[in-house]
Amino acid sequence: MNDVVRPVMQDAVAAAPTRVDGRDKVTGRARYAVEHPVEDVVWAWPVTSTVAKGRVTEIDASEANGTEGVIAVLTHANAPRLGETDDAELQLLQSDRVAYRGQVCALVVGETVESARAGADAVRVRYDEAEHDVVLDARHPAMFTPEKVNPGFPTDTSIGDPDTAFAVAAVQLDATYTTPTEHNHAMEPHATTASWGADGTLTLYDSNQGSTGVARVMADLFGLQVRAVHVISEHVGGGFGSKGTPRPNIVLAAMAAQAVGRPVRLALGRQHMFSLVGYRTPTIQRLRLGATTDGVLRSLVHDVWEQTSTLDDFAEQTAVISRMLYAAPARRTTHRLVRLDVPTPSWMRAPGEAPGSFALESAMDELAAACDLDPVELRVRNEPDVDPESGKPFSSRNLVACLREGARRFGWEQRDPTPGVRRDGRWLVGTGVASSTYPARTAPSQARMSIGSDGVVTVELNAVDIGTGSRTALTQIAAEAMDLPTDRVRLRIGDSTLPPAMIAGGSMGLTSWGSAIVKGARQLRELVGRRDGAIPEDGLEVTADTAEEVRAVSGYARHAFGAQFCEVRVDADTGEVRVPRLLGVFAVGRVINARTARSQLVGGMTMGLSMALHEEGVVDVQHGDNVNHDLAGYHIAAHADVADVDAMWLEEHDEHLNLVGAKGIGEIGIVGTAAAVANAVHHATGVRVRDLPIRVDRLLGRG
Amino acid sequence: MARMSLDLTVNGERRKVDVDTRTTVLDLLREQLGLTGSKKGCDHGQCGACTVLVAGRRVLGCLVLAVTLEGAEVTTVEGLADGDDLHPVQRAFLDADAFQCGYCTPGQLCSAVGMLREVGEGWPSVVTPPGATVSVSSLGPDEVRERMSGNLCRCGAYVNIVPAVLAARR
Amino acid sequence: MSGSVTVARSLDQALDALRSGPDARLVAGGTDLMVEVNAGRWQPGTLVSVDRAPELRGWHRDGDEIVLGSGLTYAEMERGELARLVPALAQAARTVGSPQIRNAGTLGGNVVTASPAGDTLPVLTALDAVVQIAGPEGTRISPLREFVRGVKRTDLRAGEVVTAVRVPALRGAQEFLKVGTRNAMVISVVMVAVVVDLDGHTVRVGVGSAAPVPVRAPLAEEYVGALVDWERARMDDPTGEVAAQFGELVAQATSPIDDHRSTAAYRRRAVAVCAARAVRRAFQEPESP
Repeated sequence: MNDVVRPVMQDAVAAAPTRVDGRDKVTGRARYAVEHPVEDVVWAWPVTSTVAKGRVTEIDASEANGTEGVIAVLTHANAPRLGETDDAELQLLQSDRVAYRGQVCALVVGETVESARAGADAVRVRYDEAEHDVVLDARHPAMFTPEKVNPGFPTDTSIGDPDTAFAVAAVQLDATYTTPTEHNHAMEPHATTASWGADGTLTLYDSNQGSTGVARVMADLFGLQVRAVHVISEHVGGGFGSKGTPRPNIVLAAMAAQAVGRPVRLALGRQHMFSLVGYRTPTIQRLRLGATTDGVLRSLVHDVWEQTSTLDDFAEQTAVISRMLYAAPARRTTHRLVRLDVPTPSWMRAPGEAPGSFALESAMDELAAACDLDPVELRVRNEPDVDPESGKPFSSRNLVACLREGARRFGWEQRDPTPGVRRDGRWLVGTGVASSTYPARTAPSQARMSIGSDGVVTVELNAVDIGTGSRTALTQIAAEAMDLPTDRVRLRIGDSTLPPAMIAGGSMGLTSWGSAIVKGARQLRELVGRRDGAIPEDGLEVTADTAEEVRAVSGYARHAFGAQFCEVRVDADTGEVRVPRLLGVFAVGRVINARTARSQLVGGMTMGLSMALHEEGVVDVQHGDNVNHDLAGYHIAAHADVADVDAMWLEEHDEHLNLVGAKGIGEIGIVGTAAAVANAVHHATGVRVRDLPIRVDRLLGRG
Repeated sequence: MARMSLDLTVNGERRKVDVDTRTTVLDLLREQLGLTGSKKGCDHGQCGACTVLVAGRRVLGCLVLAVTLEGAEVTTVEGLADGDDLHPVQRAFLDADAFQCGYCTPGQLCSAVGMLREVGEGWPSVVTPPGATVSVSSLGPDEVRERMSGNLCRCGAYVNIVPAVLAARR
Repeated sequence: MSGSVTVARSLDQALDALRSGPDARLVAGGTDLMVEVNAGRWQPGTLVSVDRAPELRGWHRDGDEIVLGSGLTYAEMERGELARLVPALAQAARTVGSPQIRNAGTLGGNVVTASPAGDTLPVLTALDAVVQIAGPEGTRISPLREFVRGVKRTDLRAGEVVTAVRVPALRGAQEFLKVGTRNAMVISVVMVAVVVDLDGHTVRVGVGSAAPVPVRAPLAEEYVGALVDWERARMDDPTGEVAAQFGELVAQATSPIDDHRSTAAYRRRAVAVCAARAVRRAFQEPESP
């Protein structure tokens, strides 16, 4: 285990370099996917299905074709045929089948964005409509057991006899929690500029979280060699998981460009993002906690029901968090899935842990109350010595230190546990806590590093900066590894022709890319050393590949941890909830850039706050549609909803992780936040809200 | 499809453009004038990414038809800096790390500039206590949050935008 | 959008342009209509932009009345002399959409859109506002309660333009309260406006988002009007019972629905709470912040 030294303070943030691409971003010079100048470019706009299930019987494009500026209308009858990949959502315009409402059934190409949209409005589609089934229900007769849950975990796990242990437990908690459909909604909609070269090569400016995989999928779809596909992603306006794989925009843009023989831009509209780019599945989660009267868990059972589409099985790993967060001699986790006539769910920030932590950490709060124990103390009492399921030691585990430090900084010690008794005028005041965790993983990546005779080091790898600050942090890592000032390092990322690398996802971007850079730097320094520092005229170059190190089996369970503390104020009469204070204390291994790291942790917590209070994709049962499909209807936290959110971290040295010593921070900020808010709401009001979001009508007015 | 010719000033430069009458200010800027700093986040006036200044006032480029701006003075994020010298709001956003992905940032910046001017003219907000007057020097975090609420940020940079806006007053 | 746009520089030009065809529509701030257009939900033949028509801008006093131009923006309602004259309208305006929306959106647009969640409508309803209309047949007026006929349905006829809304200049407190599911940029769950007329000895209430059209609550108004000490402009309500009863009566006048933003039961309760708070504030009974 490691040493905890001291929490990193504001001075570390102030001392960290500002973003290397910051100036471009604040002056509007940073170019995103459909902003790169391209000659003779035209626009495409999709037509989407207005039924949730059935077949397209007729597409009347005559009026659209007659619309001024319209160049082409693509449908399943005339679109280019695509090769196979393992993502059925990308088989666009390949058949007449409608699998969900909002699926692409035609694509209009026009001289301008206005004419493409006018043409799309003029396309008439007729359907043979079948009865749809869009509602998740734990008792759905078609519930089945998926083969595995993402990204490869066993579907169910069981140790001991949790049912008997629960039945005989002195304290029993059996509660069901739900989370709704949630949408990623990066501010930049998914967008692509596609152009075909005379030599059959395909160039794509695309908004994604990593183009190595995007290029491979596009090559498969269009029957090309990977080297004939060039994907450029210089700046990406957020992703939060929804841009980790290619989405319909890039495929449609390439198809359209092929069909009309001109470069095509396609930026999805915000409405399309409710059906075409993935979302977080709604979940139903039953938690059964059996404990001794002093709060020691004897049994922990976490059963999950969630949805996928009829196109693909996507199984969110919701209960995986319950496999490692607390000790319990008897335990079980299960996942069940049902295929509905809905878009395929996909990756969204902290897949699994975000919804799973809401249920587990709410249940732990309920158990603390049932045992008459402080919620921090309850968690401390259930701290495992080793990973409860694998039996492996943790490479480092500072959950208790985070809880203690957070409690101290937040002023938790003075807390009266009685719910519903603190009043400040019309406001009921309460505080809550929840644990955070996320796996610390690394994925194989390559980096090409060269040094010129001028001593300047060039680092090239297909990393991407979706706003996390990776361009800045990787520059720092390279400079440190080469023992050079940052201005002697040139970094090239965001281009699929660069050495292949991990996506910006799974909190694995920086650790994976950084490891390749550190390895490359070692190789390059060794090479320079062998020549006694003499660098030839045309420089020296190495390419490092971390596949071997990454694939080596670790003897350790590797996870990041944290604790989130929340204060809420609830209007006693209207139920309106305000969150004046949210504090997260994390243990995430080494932090490369305190400034951007804090931003990312605070950003995750802000999204968690949004998940707690606002976000809810509402199903239109009758039409198989989303009720709310714009940003006026699907609320994300606005500025006025976010007051004092702060994140800090403990200094943590963990040599069992990767060459960077970091655990990754992209997801952990959102893990546990919603539970911390719900627990605080309970403390304030005495009302336990087990269904997200915490809406005013769920706090009041049920009668 | 009707077209119309239009005279307007963009970032201090007189422009004569021929536009499809259906074109919004946002599409005019991005697609015809090559000013891609202003972003299209929702095209419905619900995110603020397209915020530009028209005669110094905050306007959503996606909801305004270009043809209604005959003779108007438009400022976009590209027009905030004075050459290489960043506008104080740009400088403050950079220093406070008041953005991550950068896509909402041009709108946030224009909004902040317009907002400080509104405050300077004494415009109240819904959080201004009845009878109180506001001024740039007395501006507090609650006022900044309320007044910047037309600009969504999915990365969650709000808590860094407040100190950035307050710092930019100097 | 498949049609074209005409920029009207006067009311007459707007009326002329509207005659060009039945699918011509007016646009001012564009904050409602352009959303429909950009969403592809609605394709106008011709859009007539009246942003530049001077007859529709601004406001003025006309005796005991205030004439609010239909082109008056929310931002203009929020401040200055007008905010002192019609404070509830200013309070409502400050909660509309975002600052950017408020710089563009207009009173006329809010009235003509006639959404149950239209933020100024409860205030205008409480004030017994009258809508001024110009059309091919000349001008006419329509009381707001008759003008708004249902969810997004109005009495406006083909070729007509709302030119202004007239409200009385009243002596007395005015309050506007709104509950939403976000702190800003929010469509209301409920809204309540309370307007006191010290000269007419009436308390008037308008409620929004709690029925297809904005509603008044005559029983509640009579109840509380009879209990006010009109000489002192005070309401004797030491226990809060009067305010609470007023709130209940206001809630009874509504017919809210369940939707994705809230339940009918919650809306009724929130109306009662907001109405009680508003009437307490209006008579300056001490209330905790």
